[in-house]
Amino acid sequence: MTGMTKSDGKQKAAVAVSVQNVNMTFDGFHAVDSASFDLDQGRFLTILGPSGSGKTTLLRMIAGFQKPSSGEIFINGAPVSAAPPHKRSVGMVFQKLALFPHMTAAENVAFPLKMRRFDATTIPERVQRYLDLVQLGSYADRRIHQLSGGQQQRVAIARALVFEPDLLLLDEPLAALDRKLREEMQLEFRRIQRELGVTTINVTHDQREALVVSDEVVVMDKGRIQQMASPTATYRTPANAFVAGFIGVTNFLNGTVKSTAGQEVIFAAGEREFIGHWSAAAGAPTVSANVVGALRAEQVRMATSADELGQCRTVLSAAVTDAIFEGERTAYEVTVGMDGNIIRVFDHDPAAHKQFGIGEAVFIGWNPQDVMIYPN
Amino acid sequence: MRSYRTAYPFRWRVMDTLEMLARVLWPNRFSGAVPYLMLAPAVLLVLLLVIGMAQIADSSLHVLDRSTFLPSADFTLANYQTALRQPLYWMIIWRSLLGAAVVTLLSLIFAFPYAYLMVRTPSALLRKFLLIALFLPFFIGQVVRAYGWLIILGNQGVMNEMLGWVGIEPQRLLFNYPAVLFGLVQYMLPFAVLMLAPAITAIPEEIESAASSLGANWWRTFTHVILPMSKPGLVGAGLVVLTLSLTDFAMPAVLGGGSQDFIANAIYDQFFRTSDQGMGAALTLFLVGIGSLVVGVIFTVFGAGTLAMGRGKK
Amino acid sequence: MTKTKSTYALTRRRFLGSAAALGGLAATGWTGQAFAQEPEKPAEIIVRAWGGSWVASLQAGVSDPFTAATGIAVRHDLTEDNEIQPKVWAAVAQGRIPPIHINWDTTTNATKSALRGVTEDLSDLANLANTTELAKPVGLEGYPIVNTYGYVYVLAYRPSAFPEGAPTSLQVLLDPKFKGRIALYNDGIGFHFPAQVAGGGKLEDIPDNMDAAWSFIEKVKEQQPLLGEDPDFTNWFQNGEIDLAVTISTNAREAMKNGIELAWTVPEEGSKFETDGLWIPKGLPENELYWAKQYINFAISKDAQQVWLDGLGLPGVVPGLTPPEGLAGDPSYPTEPADFERLIRVPTAIQVEHESEWFGKFKAIMQG
Repeated sequence: MTGMTKSDGKQKAAVAVSVQNVNMTFDGFHAVDSASFDLDQGRFLTILGPSGSGKTTLLRMIAGFQKPSSGEIFINGAPVSAAPPHKRSVGMVFQKLALFPHMTAAENVAFPLKMRRFDATTIPERVQRYLDLVQLGSYADRRIHQLSGGQQQRVAIARALVFEPDLLLLDEPLAALDRKLREEMQLEFRRIQRELGVTTINVTHDQREALVVSDEVVVMDKGRIQQMASPTATYRTPANAFVAGFIGVTNFLNGTVKSTAGQEVIFAAGEREFIGHWSAAAGAPTVSANVVGALRAEQVRMATSADELGQCRTVLSAAVTDAIFEGERTAYEVTVGMDGNIIRVFDHDPAAHKQFGIGEAVFIGWNPQDVMIYPN
Repeated sequence: MRSYRTAYPFRWRVMDTLEMLARVLWPNRFSGAVPYLMLAPAVLLVLLLVIGMAQIADSSLHVLDRSTFLPSADFTLANYQTALRQPLYWMIIWRSLLGAAVVTLLSLIFAFPYAYLMVRTPSALLRKFLLIALFLPFFIGQVVRAYGWLIILGNQGVMNEMLGWVGIEPQRLLFNYPAVLFGLVQYMLPFAVLMLAPAITAIPEEIESAASSLGANWWRTFTHVILPMSKPGLVGAGLVVLTLSLTDFAMPAVLGGGSQDFIANAIYDQFFRTSDQGMGAALTLFLVGIGSLVVGVIFTVFGAGTLAMGRGKK
Repeated sequence: MTKTKSTYALTRRRFLGSAAALGGLAATGWTGQAFAQEPEKPAEIIVRAWGGSWVASLQAGVSDPFTAATGIAVRHDLTEDNEIQPKVWAAVAQGRIPPIHINWDTTTNATKSALRGVTEDLSDLANLANTTELAKPVGLEGYPIVNTYGYVYVLAYRPSAFPEGAPTSLQVLLDPKFKGRIALYNDGIGFHFPAQVAGGGKLEDIPDNMDAAWSFIEKVKEQQPLLGEDPDFTNWFQNGEIDLAVTISTNAREAMKNGIELAWTVPEEGSKFETDGLWIPKGLPENELYWAKQYINFAISKDAQQVWLDGLGLPGVVPGLTPPEGLAGDPSYPTEPADFERLIRVPTAIQVEHESEWFGKFKAIMQG
């Protein structure tokens, strides 16, 4: 394999997939706008975005079902835009699985081997190996409609991997599953991917899935890549307000910059002033620029008296307007003072903390490093 | 006072009125009988058919008395013996069966790409065009269409005129077996397309993408995935075309030039030309028997296709 | 058919208004019977007819004058003669009112109905007194059918295909030049008997030994003839599909009226002579039967025959008709005993008994 290597001189994994300035326009609509990223061999990348963000279009271009309007995609260093899907070494698990109903599980898995003209004598052994890998070894002769939803998922995975493609694509295959099965399958994907070391690109709109399964996350919106980073970095330091809002539950404070001092930014929102900080991803704002401060719900502290929030630099009085006990956490909505701003607050340790009821007067507080400042 | 017109659609009011009327005409305590009531027309229709068949069976057992032109009173299998002994009928049966098979095969081959394009095209305009082109022939009866072919394919017809432009002498394109088959295929094509389209619609496009990403080019995708998955549609369409062709009358009569009779034409001759109802009835039962046999074989070998209404074994 | 009071009133008025016309008709062949005893008139009577020039001629010669004289509308039902037959038979068998009042039929077919006993006797028609013996069906008692004209299955041809003059023998059908360009009736009607002669057989051997006919027909089969019915011949001549056909001259005349050059001849083997007739199915209400009889009675009057048969170009059953232009002395228009010498007549009884067998044999050869 002739992979591209990053030219920093250090020994690094080869680049498996390189998307370079790829555009896709339909009738003047920019479905994918100048998308670029590199993905190293063996990594698990998730493209996360709302529906219509262009994530599926980007995946389909990598698979070869659509041809970019401009730009180029490299797989293992070779440009592939001109190659039809069946000439690419790409396995794909489809949203609705797209298993062949007229074949058994084993025939489904054998299909790509036959189509790719593998030596017929090796096919049965290999099919069995991959059915074993997805723990369906004893289901080889079942018809597709005789398998459960989870088993069908596993057949689809085996079928996409059995020919040992350079790249595995997952087009939201878990979207239709119930939550418990979905979480189980997410871990299964992760296990198999690690076991085989196959470079994987997954598409989802489920932020939790993106954080759980991925080595790297690409967040897309309106056809553009908003951020590419590790799951931790994506969550902790979102590159912009969209990413901050799309991942996690976030309160937004709109305002105008009064002054900056080092990383800290003082901005006015209505009658009040707040302190936040800017991050390298977003850059430092200028004075009197319109900004938005993003505050995660779980960063907000809540107490009966202001004294209990002594460690917080920002403290406000508020009234509880909604309190929802969700088991592992309690989700509150509180209304702040006279201006009626609603702030969402998560208490992640309900057993250890005092629980508040609707209508109770409370104090909420946070620190400048909890408020990420983005241009508005 | 505000009137909330949008909240309670007019259609619902109509339904309310109808339901009220239905309750008056058919009180709730009779509701158990409703399924039988709805079944009644179908049962009645089948019953009539059975009675008709019984009468035909009865007349097939009487030989025509040519001194009175009335069926003779005694029961006999003579009509069947006569029919079986005549090579003419064997030949006509063979011609009908072969013709039906060829027409079915060709119709499916021609209908498939048409149905596929109609279902899959992203262009709404093209789809509409294909649909209209499909339904237009339905407004023109079979006989009229057959006569249309007489005009187009005749010795002085458009076709021969065009052949003339490239220096080919006028050809006899009509009044032979291929002409009958041609007319039948043209007649059956819309039926085949209409039966195939739902089956193709039922194949998710994602399946084709999957086959392609798994390494199949379009031809192998077609043969390994689309064709086998269209089987219910192919069987359903095939059955309809086969039975319609096997029993066809007009195309052999008009395009066959009198020498390409199918079974239905032979039956017609007995009933209407030689006034021999008994013989006609015997031939009719032969046709029913052969048709049932062929359909039965197809059911056994391929399943009932779309005609199994989704209850067949997958 | 149901008659309402209002149509009755209307027909009464029409009757009064047309009394004068009837008087006129009486002088010209219409023998108006005792007026006082005339039964109630139906609003219409239905006559089954063949289409094209056949029905047009009937309408001009018989139906329209009948309506003018009686006020009874005439509806022409163009159901094929073969197809109306079982319907009439079924109606009579089930005691229903038959679907037509009068069937215009081939004498052979009509004879089958007569044998079956579904026809009314027409012996009491006044105008029968003035007809030739052709009007009387052979081998049947009384007049279950009234023959109305005769016709000849001529050998029609396209003169441009015969630069050396008219064909003289049926052997011309075997000329390779005309392969695929000849036409016969699809049951071979009109052809079996001349073929018997052309094949070297004798007419006296019909029906016992027709091998000569079948062997000749087998040779004709090699010529790939087109097989059809009356309208087909006209179409085929018009569309240039055929050069030669054994058919009724009327069909060739129809094509000629449309500007196609055609001619016909009686070949040396002879041509089959046949008759057509009119008959009334049993089971009609008394009054409708009366008026249906009046229709047929009028159809065999000299005036009606003159116009009707001018249209068909065929010889009638009333003496003294003026032949249509160009048909005097024509082989398709026999009137004198000498004209009949070259024509083949086989008793209806034999034809009725053996027709289906001949049709079957002909079909077996042609479908092979």
